[in-house]
Amino acid sequence: MERMLRLFAWGASVLVPAVLLTLLAFLLWRGVPGWSLALFFGDTPPLDAVLRGAPVFDGLWPACLGTVALVLLATAIAVPLGIASGVYQAEFASPRQRAALSFCVDLLAGIPSILMGLFGFALILLLRKTVAPAANTGLLLSAGCLALLVLPYLISTTRLALESVPHELRLAGACLGLSHGQVVGRILLPAALHGIFGGVILAVGRAAEDTAVILLTGVVANAGAPSSLFGKYEALPFHIYYLAAEYQTPAQLAQAFAAALVLLCITGGLFAVARLLRAHLETRWKTGRSQ
Amino acid sequence: MNSCAIRIEDLSVAFGGRTVIDNLNLEIGQGGPTFLLGRSGSGKTTLLRAINRLNECFPGCVTRGQVSLQLGGDWVDAYAPGTVVETLRRQAGMVFQSPNVLPLSVARNVILPLRTVLNLPADECEARMEQALRDVHLWNEVGDRLAAPAASLSGGQQQRLCLARALALRPEVLLLDEPTASLDFKAARQIEELLVELKTRYTLVVVSHSLSQAHRLAEQVFVLRDGGRVERLEEEVFRDKEALLAVMDELV
Repeated sequence: MERMLRLFAWGASVLVPAVLLTLLAFLLWRGVPGWSLALFFGDTPPLDAVLRGAPVFDGLWPACLGTVALVLLATAIAVPLGIASGVYQAEFASPRQRAALSFCVDLLAGIPSILMGLFGFALILLLRKTVAPAANTGLLLSAGCLALLVLPYLISTTRLALESVPHELRLAGACLGLSHGQVVGRILLPAALHGIFGGVILAVGRAAEDTAVILLTGVVANAGAPSSLFGKYEALPFHIYYLAAEYQTPAQLAQAFAAALVLLCITGGLFAVARLLRAHLETRWKTGRSQ
Repeated sequence: MNSCAIRIEDLSVAFGGRTVIDNLNLEIGQGGPTFLLGRSGSGKTTLLRAINRLNECFPGCVTRGQVSLQLGGDWVDAYAPGTVVETLRRQAGMVFQSPNVLPLSVARNVILPLRTVLNLPADECEARMEQALRDVHLWNEVGDRLAAPAASLSGGQQQRLCLARALALRPEVLLLDEPTASLDFKAARQIEELLVELKTRYTLVVVSHSLSQAHRLAEQVFVLRDGGRVERLEEEVFRDKEALLAVMDELV
């Protein structure tokens, strides 16, 4: 029986990397052949597109920019809010407040992303009928709705990361004369960076891949590079969805796989940036110096 | 006995309704070391933490009574509404049973509180750090690896680093909760030698389970009995090993 259990646990733990590697291999197999400069820039000279902002009509470049802008904007909204809320729940809230806030966060985590998109769309309708007749869907609305979607990850991981910091560190800070706020800011939060950045990475990944929210809040197929916070934009997840659902030729399907690989690379790049930032902050905290 | 440095009157401490110390009265002299002895669970650590109000960091703690400390020539009521608890804790430094170094470099362990609590400039922090590490005889051992993680030091070195961290804040009282309990013989001996040196500059209050340590180092000994009652031992008792053993057998 014990041997069976161990075998089952081993199988389960092997399954995850196996699925991941299969997925990656499949994506590389189908996506790499489609990679070319034309995939990104179409007929536009790449340097013109990158340096001078020349419009790209038949390539992924605007969607790449749109995705990066969307993810950065969504995380810029969600990260401070999520971390502050997690800190409040872990460190300052009374047990009753904590229970009520936890319940709300769990509810928010359970809301399907399409509903969040619908909420954003309904919000624009409401604004148009009331205080802002010119309001329209766009990048900022999508980022706001995505921020709401990823907020529970950030709140929960921050709270759990702070709660798992050993009590001795709190006592060490307190007995050295640090106030509660200083203990949280100078000792607990840096000590919990690893866990908190786990939440940030989850949030980045979720914001980069979501299609349902942006579908109803501002993404379009051919908007070009994002030009303002309130304008329409293109994004890779929508591009992939659109191509995969509507493709007419094998070449278009190949482009969808290539775009999926691009999205994976962008997400990986953002993860790498988050990890570098975490390493930098940890080093600065531990030694008082930058790397 | 030297003049009084800490006066405890009618002190009661309870956690979640369970009384740990009940109506305790005590006067601790300047210098010391003053040893608090007693069985596990008799409230020694709680008494120590009542002096710098560290019990408040634990949920459900209710403290009644009065704890007064002589700090900077004035008597300070630790539990008075106007007392700033952070200042009190800085002036009454504490070292725990297990070395609780922060997960930082050796240097940052000392410098972070100085920067955060006292807002001192960098060069002053460096100078205080070096002085504190010299005071605990750690400078020669770690002076060339200040950027190394504090956790990489031996247990005895970590405990001396904790002591240096408290000393750098220039306290007037040092509360030591079984400071040698988790150390080997040699490291424990180093800490004991430090206590002898430090007693001329600070009021030391030491919780210990070691009767021989109290016998060798103490200037004043109190024994906590179950229920929070406290007995003061006369010097001729704790200077005589046999008598100390006999009294402890009777009391605890």
